[in-house]
Amino acid sequence: MTRAAAGVPRCAPRGKRGAVATSGFAYHRPTTLREAWRLLAEHPGAALLAGGTDLLVRIRARELQPSAVVSLRSIPELAGAAAERGGGLRLGAATPVADLLRRATVVRRYPLLAQALRVMASPQIRNVATLGGNLCNASPCADTAPPLLAYEARVELRSARGRRELPLEEFFRGPGTTARRASEILTAVRLPAPPPGARVLFHKQRRVHLDLALASVAVLLRLQGTTCRRARLAAGSVGPTPLRLRAVERFLEGRILTEEVAVEAGRLAATAVSPITDLRSTADWRRRIVEVRVRRALVELAGLERAGGAP
Amino acid sequence: MKPRKTGRGPATEPRASARGHTPRASGKRPTTTTSTTTTTLVELVVNGAKVEVPVEATDRLLDVLRGPLGLTGTKEGCGAGECGACTVLVDGRAVNACLYPAREIEGRAVTTIEGLGEPSGALSDVQQAFVERGAIQCGFCSPGMILAATALLAEHPEPTDEQIRDGLVGNLCRCTGYVQIVEAVRTAAARRAGGGTR
Ligand SMILES: Cc1cc2nc3c(=O)[nH]c(=O)nc-3n(C[C@H](O)[C@H](O)[C@H](O)COP(=O)(O)OP(=O)(O)OC[C@H]3O[C@@H](n4cnc5c(N)ncnc54)[C@H](O)[C@@H]3O)c2cc1C
Ligand code: FES
Ligand code: FES
Repeated sequence: MTRAAAGVPRCAPRGKRGAVATSGFAYHRPTTLREAWRLLAEHPGAALLAGGTDLLVRIRARELQPSAVVSLRSIPELAGAAAERGGGLRLGAATPVADLLRRATVVRRYPLLAQALRVMASPQIRNVATLGGNLCNASPCADTAPPLLAYEARVELRSARGRRELPLEEFFRGPGTTARRASEILTAVRLPAPPPGARVLFHKQRRVHLDLALASVAVLLRLQGTTCRRARLAAGSVGPTPLRLRAVERFLEGRILTEEVAVEAGRLAATAVSPITDLRSTADWRRRIVEVRVRRALVELAGLERAGGAP
Repeated sequence: MKPRKTGRGPATEPRASARGHTPRASGKRPTTTTSTTTTTLVELVVNGAKVEVPVEATDRLLDVLRGPLGLTGTKEGCGAGECGACTVLVDGRAVNACLYPAREIEGRAVTTIEGLGEPSGALSDVQQAFVERGAIQCGFCSPGMILAATALLAEHPEPTDEQIRDGLVGNLCRCTGYVQIVEAVRTAAARRAGGGTR
């Protein structure tokens, strides 16, 4: 059901009863970034581990056989969140999701992100799973991605040789692939100041609670009266990477929001995505979900509901 | 190679503070440990007792609990984070012991189902409520379910039904149909609020 769809067999073949892997790996716990970079250079077959909730499942399913595991959990620079000049927020890449949800700044100022974090996995997973792991794993259904795209987040990558930053949109390259170089560690996610007065809604379509998203939609709107001043939309599980729906944004901005406009925006969104059919759902149905959920989000956020409106 | 039993199993030791919310064990954080050898000695607190166990690089917390520590109350169902049978508390927070690298447990405090009741053998309030409400049938999910419920009540002392369900989404039960489990958590919460038995 859930993991099977992500290419992980439900009943992972068991090797040596108990242990994570049969092949064996060395386990390293660096306490500084410098040491972590050195370990990455020394062990070309090494895997970085933050929460381990993706990595360990994949190692156990023998999709990966790293020669070494380099844990990011004891590196203080990667944990926590800090306000930035200009009103933004910097989130340490290895901060567990549950810790982010305990921060008033995250919950109050970035409610779209908080909505997505709350419906991620289970409490047990949220206590260890990290933002950085969710993004570096680069699953099209990563729950944190659509809200972060809507907030126009940037990711900070650092290696022994230096530091670079790029928009999250450019970080995702395809299912499971990112712009991260092997020598780099994702150190932080940087959120610009949230647009004042923004209304937000995250919708995750799933069958049962613990499911990964079959499709997800994140919508951020800033209205002036009934005119849309700013629209940011993104969708998950409907393309090779999480997608920002720029065509819909362009269509909405400057327009007076009516039910017809919401319907048209939904249609546009459906044509902007490129879902596939897999174990969990079909391409057609996913497209339909995006259409309906974008429309309903706009109707709800702009307060357009009235009796007998569009279904 | 499995690590050997340490003979210092916490199950038989007096439990100082075995009630779920053990503070993080103080003391030095480990300096960088670079182990290319397979076995490392790791120090942790289990159900209130300080122990030292040999840990292999590939071990999960689950392996250490059920192996050298002999605490077989923690179950393995899926081994992949889906079922919650392996749920334990680390520094008071619920985690899946099947996805927790054993090496990361250094210096932390773990509570397993064996550490929830009183040293006298009396059950914790959550355990007691599970028994009374018929929230246990085969019992395989119960240790994990009870620890998840214990963490849930620590965070939401007066949970709504929705909060109870949200708090237990990571725990599967093939027997009860969940209704009795939700009732048991509600019962435990009501008793705490009413100043009942603990
Ligand atoms: C039962 C279950 C349910 C789940 N449900 C959901 C869900 O609802 N929604 C969802 O989005 N995900 C879900 N997941 C997937 C997973 O929990 C998340 O993707 C999580 O955020 C991964 O974070 P982590 O810290 O555990 O990553 P890890 O497993 O530690 O790492 C994942 C990948 O990223 C790399 N990596 C991690 N951190 C960094 C870094 N700082 N720099 C560079 N590379 C790094 C690792 O090398 C690895 O390749 C679920 C997983 C399980 C087991
Ligand atoms: S055994 Fe750990 S979640 Fe199933
Ligand atoms: S009582 Fe049998 S699985 Fe829950």
